[in-house]
Amino acid sequence: MTLETVPIQVLNGLTFSALLFLLASGFTLIFGLMRIVNLAHGSFYLVGGYVGILAGSVSGSFMVALIAGVIATGAFGFLTERFLLRRVSGHELREVLLTVGIAFIVADLSLAVFGGKPQLLDVPDFLSGSSLLGTYRYPTYRLFVMGLAVAVGIGLWYLQQRTPLGARIRAGVDDRETAAALGIDIGRLFAVMFVLGAGLAGLAGVASAGMLTMRPGADTDILLFALVVVIVGGLGSVTGAAIGSVFIGLLDAFSRAWFPEFSTFAVFAPMAIVLVLRPQGLRGSSA
Amino acid sequence: MNRSSAVRLAAVLLLAVPVVLAPQYLPPHLLTVLTVVFIAGLLAASVNLLAGLSGLVSMGHAGIALAAAYGIAWASVRDWTPLGQIALALVATLLVSLVYAAMTARTRGIVFLMITLALGVLLYGLALKASSVTGGQNGMTGIRRPDVIKAPGDFYLVAVLACTLGLVASRVVSRSPFGLMLQGIRESPNRMASLGYPVSRAKFMAIVLSGLMAGMAGILAVWQVEFISPQIGSFARSANAVVMVILGGTGTIIGPLVGAGVVVGIEQWLSSYIERWPTLLGLVLVLVVLFAPRGIVGTLADLARRRSPAMGGAGTPGGPPPSQAVAPGSGASTTTVGAPVSPDHSQKEAGP
Repeated sequence: MTLETVPIQVLNGLTFSALLFLLASGFTLIFGLMRIVNLAHGSFYLVGGYVGILAGSVSGSFMVALIAGVIATGAFGFLTERFLLRRVSGHELREVLLTVGIAFIVADLSLAVFGGKPQLLDVPDFLSGSSLLGTYRYPTYRLFVMGLAVAVGIGLWYLQQRTPLGARIRAGVDDRETAAALGIDIGRLFAVMFVLGAGLAGLAGVASAGMLTMRPGADTDILLFALVVVIVGGLGSVTGAAIGSVFIGLLDAFSRAWFPEFSTFAVFAPMAIVLVLRPQGLRGSSA
Repeated sequence: MNRSSAVRLAAVLLLAVPVVLAPQYLPPHLLTVLTVVFIAGLLAASVNLLAGLSGLVSMGHAGIALAAAYGIAWASVRDWTPLGQIALALVATLLVSLVYAAMTARTRGIVFLMITLALGVLLYGLALKASSVTGGQNGMTGIRRPDVIKAPGDFYLVAVLACTLGLVASRVVSRSPFGLMLQGIRESPNRMASLGYPVSRAKFMAIVLSGLMAGMAGILAVWQVEFISPQIGSFARSANAVVMVILGGTGTIIGPLVGAGVVVGIEQWLSSYIERWPTLLGLVLVLVVLFAPRGIVGTLADLARRRSPAMGGAGTPGGPPPSQAVAPGSGASTTTVGAPVSPDHSQKEAGP
């Protein structure tokens, strides 16, 4: 690989970073507030992608696909939290295992419904094709996905730092018991957060369906990357998720291009190093 | 040995007869399935050793099995002697187990789970991508299991023996001072540390021990099919091992084997009737987690105990386990401040 392709690799890496951020931010927020490691997060991504493809092909509209995917996963998240996770609330391990069970079911049922062939979401004309970036041409849709992630990042920051809901969330993250004692409805806060996280994963799914396709196994693939991002960035920190996403996304793009045989290793090795040197992650407080 | 354990021993021996004689009367395909059950049971037992005693649930144990399996495969293709193959596999297992232990011994709970998960996937990815050594996606063919255990019936007996050894070892460890220390660490790491116990070192040892057991399962798995591909260490396999432990009953001795029987049964038998068996497996997991967190064996033991209330709550060693059992892994510790660590926390057997 020559140096001329470096900018393209950077852009490829950042596109993947954008997807990872959409997924990891929800994952890390759910963990920060609820202490749940949601191994069904990849399933929300899968559901979002497939619902988006379905809605897109029925309506012919990309916006409808996007909205349908987010609403469907949000609703799915709501049901999961309300009827399953709440029943084992406080039992870390049972919560994790429950999400594993959900992941099994979703993976199998979506294979049954949507089949094994990778499916692509049609993107509208103004997003297809490519744009000129200096002397390079790059697919417009991928730039759109990056913009989406940046917008979501700013939105999350605003939500957390500037709104009453955000203040309650921060209070809940810092000290669940005291927040509850001060009259914050922690149960409702959990539900809101889980729906938000699931919706973000659904958004990532639809966005990804427009460029990477949706296929069986996409759920575990992306979940593992999100896990690495969150471990590197620090559990519970949105800023950490952003830094981790950019870092892992770029690392993945370059290792795939330069030494494909060890690309997985290249992504996981830094995680190992971070864990040994700084177990709480780059931006995490004590775990 | 008191009376009840003599009865239990007799029951186990009686059960052992049809298991050992299975090659005489079972059709070949059922014998194969049963062999799979015992190998899966051994992997599940290795997960259970950690989960039951120290509360560390590993989602990456198939990765350790994978290392052992590739050791065997690589050496077998190059016509090493069986002993040489095993030696290489053990070295690979030990190395990988040491890495697992080094990276996770200071963690616990969900952090441990996440790191082991990531490590497992790392090894899977390495096996998949480093095709010059591992054959990549296509794996390796031409692996031959040693001539001594060539016959399916003999190999089956080896699997039974290995699994039994694994289960017996679990029991021995859980009753040893080392096992008690681990249980103490599970219940209250801070208190154990302040009492002067080497908390991290104990967990390190437990992880390596459990890893070696997982490695044995990997060796048997590759010998059984005489083929290897990265699938042998996929995330699904690691997750399945955990499902087996949870289904059977975390911290019980025979739970992993029971869980392996159910999961492999669903996979092998139901898959010919119901296409959507993974959904069924997921549903079973969800239901067990919601309604029977102590698993099949644990729940049966609870029921049996409720029907015939044991005399005396203290639970003499070897006698009926005390009824205030803590469900390891359920997170619901009922240990009160100052209560001694019960030696029976993690060894509830059901009388089948």
